[in-house]
Amino acid sequence: MEYFIKIIKESIIIVFISSLIGIVTGTFLSSNDEILNTIPFILLTLPAINSLIGDISTIMISRLTTQLLIGSIPPRIKKTQRLIEDFIGLFLTIILSLIILLAAGYIIAYYMELKLMNLIEVLIIIILTVVVMFVIIFLVMFMISILLFKKGKDPNNFLIPFITSLIDFLSPFLIILFIIIFI
Amino acid sequence: MEREDSRFTLIKEILPSETLSIIGSLAAGIILSLLLLQFKSFPILILLIPALLSLRGNISSPFIARTAKDLIIGDFNKRNIIENILSTYLLAIATACLIGLFTFIVNFFFFKLEYFSFEFFILIPLISMLFTLSLVIVISIVLNSLVFKFGLNPNNVIPPIMTAIGDFFNVVFFYLTLIILGVP
Repeated sequence: MEYFIKIIKESIIIVFISSLIGIVTGTFLSSNDEILNTIPFILLTLPAINSLIGDISTIMISRLTTQLLIGSIPPRIKKTQRLIEDFIGLFLTIILSLIILLAAGYIIAYYMELKLMNLIEVLIIIILTVVVMFVIIFLVMFMISILLFKKGKDPNNFLIPFITSLIDFLSPFLIILFIIIFI
Repeated sequence: MEREDSRFTLIKEILPSETLSIIGSLAAGIILSLLLLQFKSFPILILLIPALLSLRGNISSPFIARTAKDLIIGDFNKRNIIENILSTYLLAIATACLIGLFTFIVNFFFFKLEYFSFEFFILIPLISMLFTLSLVIVISIVLNSLVFKFGLNPNNVIPPIMTAIGDFFNVVFFYLTLIILGVP
C-alpha cells in the first residue's frame, strides 16, 4: 500500500485547503453578484474560462512532472530549450482556445439575447486576465515543481488541486478588479 | 515514453480536446443555470456548486495525471491502479464531507437560510461526487490507455477531455442527487 499512502499523505492537506478556497470563492461570488450580473457575458463564460486556465495548468504540471522524472528537464530553476518550447506551445494554445471560447460565448449570448454592452472592454478584460494568469502560473508552478521534485514529492499531488482552486478564485477576482478599473 | 513535443505538437494535440472542453463547460454552465433555478433552495445550492466543481478538478485531475505518468514511466500495473483508485475515493469522501460541513457553517453564520437540514449539506456533495468519480475513473483509465497506445501523449490530450466529461456529468449527477434526496 506504499503508493496509496504516498498519494493520501501528499494530497490530503492540499485537497482540504483547495476545497476551502472553493467555499471562499462561492462566498466571494455571492457577495459580488451585482457587479457580475451587470455583465452577463462574463457570467456565461466564467466557468469555461476557469476550465480553460485549469486545463492548461494541469497539462503544464503533469508535463513538468513527467519531464522531471525522465530527465528531459533538469531539477534546477534554469531556462532550457524544452521549457521555452513548452511555454510558447502552451501560450499559443491558450490564446487560440480563448478565441474559440469567446466566439462560442458570443454565439450563445446572441441566441440567448443577452445584453452585450461594453463588448470591447469586456473582451480586453478577459484576454488580459487569462494572459496575466498564464504567465504567473507558468513561472510559479515551474519553480514550485522543481522544489517539490527535489524533496522527493510528486508535484501532481500537490500542485494540481491547489492551482485549480486558486484559479477558480483568482480569475473572478481579477475580472472584477479589471471591471472596476476599466469600466 | 515521453516524446520531445514541439510547440506545434502541443497545439495540435491540446487544441482539439480543449475545444471539446470549452463546449462542455459552456453546456454545463447553461444546464446548471436552467436545472437549478427551479429549486427553492437555489441560494444554498449556489454556495455548494463552486466548491463541488473545484472538488471534482482537485480529485480527478491528479488521478488522471498520475495514471498518465504511470503509463509513460512504465509503472502502470494492477497494484498501482487499485491503490490510485482507492486513494482517490478516500480523498473524495473526506473532502466532500468537509465541504458539506463548511458550507453548513458559512450558511449558519452568514446567510442563515433554512431550506434543508444538516445531513443534506453532507449527503449532496458526497453522493454526487461518488457518482461522478465512478464514471470519471473508468473513462479516464480507458482513454489514457487508448491515447497512449496510439502514440499520443496522454498528458496533452486527456485533461481537457476529462474536464468536459467531468463538468457535464458533475452537473447531471448533482441534479440527480437533488432529485433522489428530495431536496426542495
